[in-house]
Amino acid sequence: MDAVRLMKELRVNYEQEEDFLPREAGLNLIVSAQQTGGQITARSRDVTVEDLWSLTSFFGYSTQSFVQAVSLLDRFLAMMRVQPKHLSCVSLSCLHLAARVTEEECDLTPADELIRIGQCRFTVSDLGRMEKIVAEKLRFKSKAVTALTFLQLYHQITLTHATYRKETLSLEKLEAQLKACLCRIAFSKAKVGRAVGPAEPLWVRPHRGSDPARLSLQPSVLALALLRQEMKSLQSEDMLEIAFHIQRHLKESLGFNPPFNPPSRFQIPDAELQRWSERVARCLSDYASPKCSKPNHRKLQWIVSRRTAQNLHSHRSVPELPTIPEGCWDESESEDSGEDVMSSGDESLCSSLGSDAEGPFFPLHLRRQYLAA
Amino acid sequence: MEGEDQGSPIFIRFDSIVKGTDGPGEPRGDERGLGVEGLQAPSTPAASRLVQCNEPDAPVAELHDLFCKKLQQCCVLFDFLDCVADLKGKEIKRAALNELVESVATSRGVLIEPLYPEAIKMISVNIFRTLPPSENPEFDPEEDEPTLEASWPHLQLVYEFFLRFLESPDFQPSMAKRYIDQKFVLQLLELFDSEDPREREYLKTILHRVYGKLLGLRAYIRKQINNIFLRFIYETEHFNGVAELLEILGSIINGFALPLKAEHKQFLVRVLIPLHTAKSLSIFHAQLAYCVVQFMEKDATVTEYIIRGLLKYWPKTCTQKEVMFLGEIEEILDVIEPSQFIRIQEPLFKQIAACISSPHFQVAERALYFWNNEYILSLIEENCQVILPLVFATLYRVSKEHWNQTIVSLIYNVLKTFMEMNSKLFDDLTASYKVEKQKEMKRERERTDLWRGLEEYQERRMQMLTEAARNQRNLQERGERGDPLNPSSPQTAQSDQPEPKPSGASTGAGESAT
Repeated sequence: MDAVRLMKELRVNYEQEEDFLPREAGLNLIVSAQQTGGQITARSRDVTVEDLWSLTSFFGYSTQSFVQAVSLLDRFLAMMRVQPKHLSCVSLSCLHLAARVTEEECDLTPADELIRIGQCRFTVSDLGRMEKIVAEKLRFKSKAVTALTFLQLYHQITLTHATYRKETLSLEKLEAQLKACLCRIAFSKAKVGRAVGPAEPLWVRPHRGSDPARLSLQPSVLALALLRQEMKSLQSEDMLEIAFHIQRHLKESLGFNPPFNPPSRFQIPDAELQRWSERVARCLSDYASPKCSKPNHRKLQWIVSRRTAQNLHSHRSVPELPTIPEGCWDESESEDSGEDVMSSGDESLCSSLGSDAEGPFFPLHLRRQYLAA
Repeated sequence: MEGEDQGSPIFIRFDSIVKGTDGPGEPRGDERGLGVEGLQAPSTPAASRLVQCNEPDAPVAELHDLFCKKLQQCCVLFDFLDCVADLKGKEIKRAALNELVESVATSRGVLIEPLYPEAIKMISVNIFRTLPPSENPEFDPEEDEPTLEASWPHLQLVYEFFLRFLESPDFQPSMAKRYIDQKFVLQLLELFDSEDPREREYLKTILHRVYGKLLGLRAYIRKQINNIFLRFIYETEHFNGVAELLEILGSIINGFALPLKAEHKQFLVRVLIPLHTAKSLSIFHAQLAYCVVQFMEKDATVTEYIIRGLLKYWPKTCTQKEVMFLGEIEEILDVIEPSQFIRIQEPLFKQIAACISSPHFQVAERALYFWNNEYILSLIEENCQVILPLVFATLYRVSKEHWNQTIVSLIYNVLKTFMEMNSKLFDDLTASYKVEKQKEMKRERERTDLWRGLEEYQERRMQMLTEAARNQRNLQERGERGDPLNPSSPQTAQSDQPEPKPSGASTGAGESAT
């Protein structure tokens, strides 16, 4: 793994990152949508992404499929006004699209199975049509540049510089954390209404024709924030150094002249990184908390076969015979049977309660048989 | 009519009994009505008096007397296996029994002391009998129709009478206990083996009342029921009345006083739990489960015994029973206390995981359906850290392998539920599962490589050996042909080298020099 080559790749992805961002205005609409209105809300988007995560896990798809699917979903939702009832169709078609370009042919789950497990109401042809629509609108050709791309690159770069730490910085763990973050729409966009004053470091990305003060969270920043979070938890100072270098490296590599100090194309300001790091930390602490959230299992359909359904609760019958209360004076009136029985005290469960007045309970020959059985 | 009673011993006995109870002050004509001619008369005037008499004085004495007479009359038994014999006699007895039933049910002040022994005697005579052996030696209680009791027309009325007798407001336990003694109860219990479900139904209610009212017999009854069950479990595996006895026990357990006596706990562990091993469990499982759950509701500390007992006796080859066990476990979990749950969760969920991977779809479904139960789900949620690792690998594996699509959907539901409960744990387990899978695949590959290597090595060795044997043979042949070949030896010397034969020939060679 050539460090120089990696950095080159990083830069290339940096340049392309822009093209795969969801439209800010569209995301704003979703975030500000009311629960009662007939629109897709942030909550419904988050729930949908969680469902996608479940399906990804269940079918054994890679993280790449999931991240690609979320990228497609966010971009599509930001672009088109989708009715809530079509949301599941859109999300499944995104997943199917993503899986088709990412997974092997043999690992790909057929569409009907996808729909059945996802407990959706539409048909395979519906799914096919929606896929076409999504692909068309997003001009879907190849894999998008996402936070995962950057995460993998950063990971490799870190390893080339600190090979002895290979085992501890786990890519799987980072990927899992990325998945957790993607489930919150907040990480697809910045908070609305952040003012940009002249004193603040300009986080400017001269984008063709759009608002220069755009404040979206770039996937590269998210990935870097995650990386730094993990390194902090590992308490590795040298790795944090590496992350810092990554942050600064690109500025230098473009040959900037310090006296001029124009806004760098690829600079990631500390404040920005800090802010997002905090948010990521909060998300991850929720994710990792041992406290379980009550699952919303009422959404799921529990279908069983007819035979099992018949057996369920079939014998919860109310007994007809009325209760006979046991009285403490029961035994005083007992007539001793005079049977010759052995004491069963050595196996008594709770001898401290004292035996009843009647005495031992189990006839000898059956007790022997029981012990032998 | 005259000819009918000629050779019949029953009629003679009937007659003599009736004639023997002549008492003073008998009203006119009744005695005659009970004689031979009485066989023809449908309803005598005496009968109507038995029912409708309301006057307290001398008619009451008559009432009691008549009552006694009717009781004695009903001690005569008829043969119902022959459907046409003694039809009139049977009818008269049936009518008499009916009157007795009515009388006990409606009149007050009928039950006086002298009547108790007579009543019990009549009942004993009628119901206590040796039960006939089953006509079908392979009787399967679930599948086959039971053989009904032939003399039910009379028997039913006797039971009805007994029941009303016990339930009458005038019934005095202190008087009855002299006659309803342990011997009586023992015989009553043996009747529970009757194949006729109607009889068992009556017996159940009757024994329930006896247990309730005659306190002195309670311990004895419990002990005898114990014996019956133990015999059933360990000796005979045959008894028709297990369900009814369990129903009675259910109402008894429900009334246990707290703290629970040691005797009752022993009963639970030594009798109720082993009862689950019976082959015919499906007949009485509902009642058995009810008893078990009642125990738990009375005293939560028995939970551990119950669950460990069930796990010990878990059916290994009978899936029908497994489904029943799972149903019982769900009922138990519905009422379990969280502190008790924690003690048994590990072995329990190991067993549930095993059920989920059962190839029988009903077993797997039933186990997976636990996750649809709100209370169980809350218990699982609280102990997610312990339970999820136990079932995770099974769930994942079965979701890929199971043939039944419904099961796969249910597993998705369960996995999704777990994912929502604790995402991080879930992801950790997924990762470690994948790692395990990779390791396993690597081991498989290594194993196949090793075998392949061994096979190749063997082939090479075989080749070498066959070539060596061939060389040996060539040398021998040359030696046998002797010297004449020597002049041409330069040629043969060249051809001394073994020709490279195609390996196909060598493999066919049977000479393997070991």
